[in-house]
Amino acid sequence: MEFRLTPEEESLRKKVEAFVNEELIPLEPLFDGAPDIFEGTRWKSRARLSKDPEVKRYIGIMETLEEKAEARGLWYLDVPKEYGGLQVSNVAMIAVTEELEKTSVPFELGNHVSNILYACKGDQIETFLLPCLRGEKTACFGLTEPGAGSDPAMLTTTATPDGGYFVLNGSKMFPTFADVADFAQVFARLPGTKGHEGVTCFLVETGTPGYRVVRSIATIAGTEPCELVFEDCRVPKGQVLGEVGKGWALNQTWLGARRFQVGIRCHGMARRALRSIQEYLKDYPSELGKFSPSLGAFIGELEALRSLTYFGAWKADHGVDVRFEAASVKLFGTELLHRVIEFALEVVGPPALRKKHHLARFFRHARATRIVEGASEVQRHIIQRTLFREGISFMELT
Amino acid sequence: MDLKLSEEENLLKNAAAQFVQKELLNIEGSFLKQKEPFLPPGDPPRRELDPVVRKTLIEKAKKVGFWALELPEESGGSGLSHIARTLIHREFGKTVLPFEPPSIPRLMAASRHAERIVEGELSLSLAFDEIHKTGKLDQIRANYRPCPNGYCLNSSGIDVINPSSDFFLLPAKEETSGQSGLFLLDRDASGLSIKDEVDLTTDATVARLTLNECRISSDRLLGHEDEMRQIIAAEQLRIAARSLGIGTRCLENALEHASNRVTFGRPLSSRQAIQWMVADLSVSLRTSTWLTLEAAWKADQGLPYFDAAALAKKRAARMAFEAADVAIQIHGGYGVCKEFPFETFYREARLMRLLYGQEAEIDRAIGEIFLKAG
Repeated sequence: MEFRLTPEEESLRKKVEAFVNEELIPLEPLFDGAPDIFEGTRWKSRARLSKDPEVKRYIGIMETLEEKAEARGLWYLDVPKEYGGLQVSNVAMIAVTEELEKTSVPFELGNHVSNILYACKGDQIETFLLPCLRGEKTACFGLTEPGAGSDPAMLTTTATPDGGYFVLNGSKMFPTFADVADFAQVFARLPGTKGHEGVTCFLVETGTPGYRVVRSIATIAGTEPCELVFEDCRVPKGQVLGEVGKGWALNQTWLGARRFQVGIRCHGMARRALRSIQEYLKDYPSELGKFSPSLGAFIGELEALRSLTYFGAWKADHGVDVRFEAASVKLFGTELLHRVIEFALEVVGPPALRKKHHLARFFRHARATRIVEGASEVQRHIIQRTLFREGISFMELT
Repeated sequence: MDLKLSEEENLLKNAAAQFVQKELLNIEGSFLKQKEPFLPPGDPPRRELDPVVRKTLIEKAKKVGFWALELPEESGGSGLSHIARTLIHREFGKTVLPFEPPSIPRLMAASRHAERIVEGELSLSLAFDEIHKTGKLDQIRANYRPCPNGYCLNSSGIDVINPSSDFFLLPAKEETSGQSGLFLLDRDASGLSIKDEVDLTTDATVARLTLNECRISSDRLLGHEDEMRQIIAAEQLRIAARSLGIGTRCLENALEHASNRVTFGRPLSSRQAIQWMVADLSVSLRTSTWLTLEAAWKADQGLPYFDAAALAKKRAARMAFEAADVAIQIHGGYGVCKEFPFETFYREARLMRLLYGQEAEIDRAIGEIFLKAG
């Protein structure tokens, strides 16, 4: 066994670490006073359209950071080599995010696209994939529906073939950034199908007649997901992503890969919360004895989360079925983050719930993570299903 | 990163699994079975492995190298890495049959009794009672001072598990300097007394060991702080590994029973209350597995590993306890019967959680490191 990163992974991690120390951490005081919109990833949303000079100033800072990161070669990390990326491993991406999470500055290395977009073929590559990679276009992800959330196989949006087109009818809930996206990745089913069958993914450009972004919805976490409506929206057959009727597998791929990133983000945010507790307690030395056992217990649990995340990502890199690992990471990570924030609030007390206090932000964010991209209950369902299907051999070391 | 076992590690793991299956699990059922149709009045007697069976098992285990795992080969041991020992103890943890490779710390190799202890002719207990609270050396009350030709030890009394052993390894503090020393004591050393042997709630006994001006020769001082910390970490890893075995076995049987047992017209496995128990347990088992293997790997690599071993022990032993709890609950009435292994695991795991560092103390230590790190 070998628990170290490979030399390549380690050198990438070090580069990101240096970037965080030299470029991001010095900006922390500045971002403490940033407009609300710079909480989490919201700034990527309609902030860009804002005319407020203060918002524009921060957008300018973000754009400068993007240039600096690209100049250091910290760009296109998980993009396949054939598209000019570095195609680094899942494990490396976990190490990258772990470093980025050491600062509160909400900066992400780009340009990511949702991994299902690599299923683009022919003209789709030039129209959809490459502009996203270049940062010229953005996409949103439309799977959930008003009546189909935890069980997406219940989706009812239909795609009826009509000559060279599919006609889409139905609605989608909660795609984030749909209000600013250039196109949507929409899952719909062929007429007369149910369950996993007949699900097909479409690339639907904003402005296509019959496709409307009805509204954006404010949430506790500060994100503003949207509601989409499709009314006799005609999408050319050439805009089917992957194959007709094979969309279910695409959505599983998307969710699977995301979960490890969720795990390491929960780890990072929880560590930051605990570090701020540590700072806070410096002014209250008499409280140290009271809180150190709980603090230690959480540090231990975070170590467990870190292992689970890294080693799950390693399995994903080695072509092992990781549905169990992915579900475990999502469940364990988001539930643990929630408990850590709960604890942090107990230590600091009411001042921590001021709207702009970082712990209050964490508190609001953490609540949503236990739902978004698969509620904890769904993760437990996936885990037990694997266990009863595969039996104990599944837990064996190999 | 490479999380696959090496070919050698895999062979070893499979060999241990085979040994446990063939020699131990095959007789577990008859070991657990109640001998008489009606029990005598009073508490059921403590179960012990038949001495003849034990002797045969020791011979067999020695033959295949599942004995004296820590000791180097030149001293008759197996000279195995921490990872290898973790894999072996994990397999032995899968049965309640009270038989496992004994803990014979590496420093015993220097003792002239090493050979007979390795042979299984003489037995050794770790008298680490004063370590169990914190898993560290700060609670040692037994003390020693240099005397002509050796040392003189005093202790007002500590609890020793397996008190019938021939030898005890006992930590003590030097009266004036406070330095810690680790001593090898004969059970018939002058000034050493063992009394008040009683049953523990696990299938073991405990007795009170006192030292009253106990004089021993200078070669009985085997080590100091570093050596003791290594033994503590090795024991924590052993407990963690054994816990993984318990967790795996309990989860396996729970899954099996839940799939077969029907209530109100449906198998238990279709009930969410049952599904969630095994789901949470499996995540806990997975995280404990990685933490234990990673700590063992760190030890093999010469990296600092004491804190990692303490954490692995804390989480794994807790997981084993919860695994036994889940297995009992899913097996219902059978779960609490002594003809099934789960209640034994439950009692054993509860004790393991209290050895070599209680949970709150391990948490506190980790918390204090974090607070100090600044």
